[in-house]
Amino acid sequence: MATVRIPTPLRPHAGGQDKVETAGATVGEILANLGTAFPALRERLFDGAELRRFVNVYLNNEDIRYLDDLATPVAENDEVSIIPAVAGG
Amino acid sequence: MPPPPHDPLERYSRQVRFPSLGQAGQRALLASKVTLCGCGALGTVLANHLARAGVGSLRIIDRDFIETHNLQRQILFDEQDVRDNLPKAEAAARKLRLINSTIQIEPVVTDIDHTNVLDLVGDADLILDGTDNFETRYLINDAAIKLGKPWVYGGVIGSEGQTMTIVPGKTPCLRCLIETAPPPGMTPTCETAGVLGPAVAVIASLEAVEAIKLLTGANDALNRDLIMIDIWDWTFRQLKVAGLLGKVDCPCCKHRRFEWLEGGMGSHTTTLCGRNAVQVAARRPEPLNFAELSQRLEPLGEVRHNAFMLRFATEGYEFTVFPDGRAIIKGTNDIAKARTLYAQFVGS
Repeated sequence: MATVRIPTPLRPHAGGQDKVETAGATVGEILANLGTAFPALRERLFDGAELRRFVNVYLNNEDIRYLDDLATPVAENDEVSIIPAVAGG
Repeated sequence: MPPPPHDPLERYSRQVRFPSLGQAGQRALLASKVTLCGCGALGTVLANHLARAGVGSLRIIDRDFIETHNLQRQILFDEQDVRDNLPKAEAAARKLRLINSTIQIEPVVTDIDHTNVLDLVGDADLILDGTDNFETRYLINDAAIKLGKPWVYGGVIGSEGQTMTIVPGKTPCLRCLIETAPPPGMTPTCETAGVLGPAVAVIASLEAVEAIKLLTGANDALNRDLIMIDIWDWTFRQLKVAGLLGKVDCPCCKHRRFEWLEGGMGSHTTTLCGRNAVQVAARRPEPLNFAELSQRLEPLGEVRHNAFMLRFATEGYEFTVFPDGRAIIKGTNDIAKARTLYAQFVGS
C-alpha cells in the first residue's frame, strides 16, 4: 500500500494522523479510498469528481499535473502528498 | 598620518570574501532596487537581511501598524514603536537607517491594490513577498509576469512554511502552482494555527538568499523547487515544480490574462487574519485632515493622532485611520458592520 501524507491543517479530518496507508493503483483511486475512509477530508479535497484548484497533489516529489493527473500510477511504497497553500507571513 | 581612504565596501567585507559573491556581487547589490511587499513577520526579517547586505535601494510597503502581539516575531519592532503608534513601514525604515545609513530606504504606508501595484514595483529589479494573504500575492504575481520581473514567494503558518522563486518565462508562476486561493474558512489562519517566529525567520532567510542570488546574477544557484519546511517535525522537502511551466493552462503566465491587475478579483474590504478586525479601504484623492477629524470625534469617544494615524475608540470598537482614508476597525469580523461603522464615524 502507498502512504498518503496529510498536511497539518487537514489532520483533524483524518483522525489526527499525519500518514495514512491507503490502497489503490492510481493517485485517483488512492484519494477516493482515502475519501471513503474520511468523508470530511474528501470534502476538503474534491469538488465533485475534480480536485479543488487550491489543492496540489504530489507523487513522491513530482506534481501529478505534469504526470498523468489522477490517473498517475502509484507503486507499492510510493508516497502521495497533499500540499496545501500556505498564506500566512 | 591622515586616516586611510574610506572604502565603502569595507562594511560588507565578510560577505565580499564569500567567493560566489565577491566585489562584483557587492557592487551589484549596491546598485540594485528592491520592492518589499509587506513588512510583518516575513518582511522584517527580509528587510533586515537586505539592508545589512547592502541592497542599495529598498522600498518597504505595509498597510498596518504595530501591536504588542507582533513583537514575538517581527524582529525590527520594539515596545517603544507600539507606544508611538507607528506604522510598520515607517518604524522599519527608522530601525534600518540605524543599521545601514548608506542605503536608500523608502517606507510606503499603503494597501497594495490593483490601482497602485504597477507604480510600486515598476522601477524595482526584484519584488519580495512579505505579505500574509493570497490576494496581494496574486497581484504581485500579475505585476511581475506582466513586467517581466522576478519575485520570491514565501508563506508560513504554525511551524511550517513554503517558498518558491519565480522568474517570468523561466519558472512556473504562482498561479501555475495555485490557480485560485482557498476560500475563507477552508484553511487555518494565524489565529487558529498560530505561528512560530523561527519558522518565519527560516522562510524569510531563504527568500533573502534567493534575492541576493537574483540581484547578483547567480542564476545557476537559484531554487527551482517548491521548498517546504516544518521546523517542528524536521521535514525538509524540495517538490519538483519546474515541469508545471507550460504544462498547466495558466491564465497568467501562459495566456497573459492579468485578472488581479484588472481589478476584477479580490475585495477592497477584508477581514484581517487573526485580529477580530476588518480593513476598510476607501482611498481618497486628498489626505484626510486628522486635526479636523479628531475634533469631530472627540465628543464621541477617545481620540488621538500623530502624523501617520488617528486612533479612535468608541462603543467597544477601535478605529485606526490612515491619511489615505483606509481604516482598520477592531472589534468585529463582519465586513458589512465595519463598512457601516466607517460611514458613521469617518464618513464616505
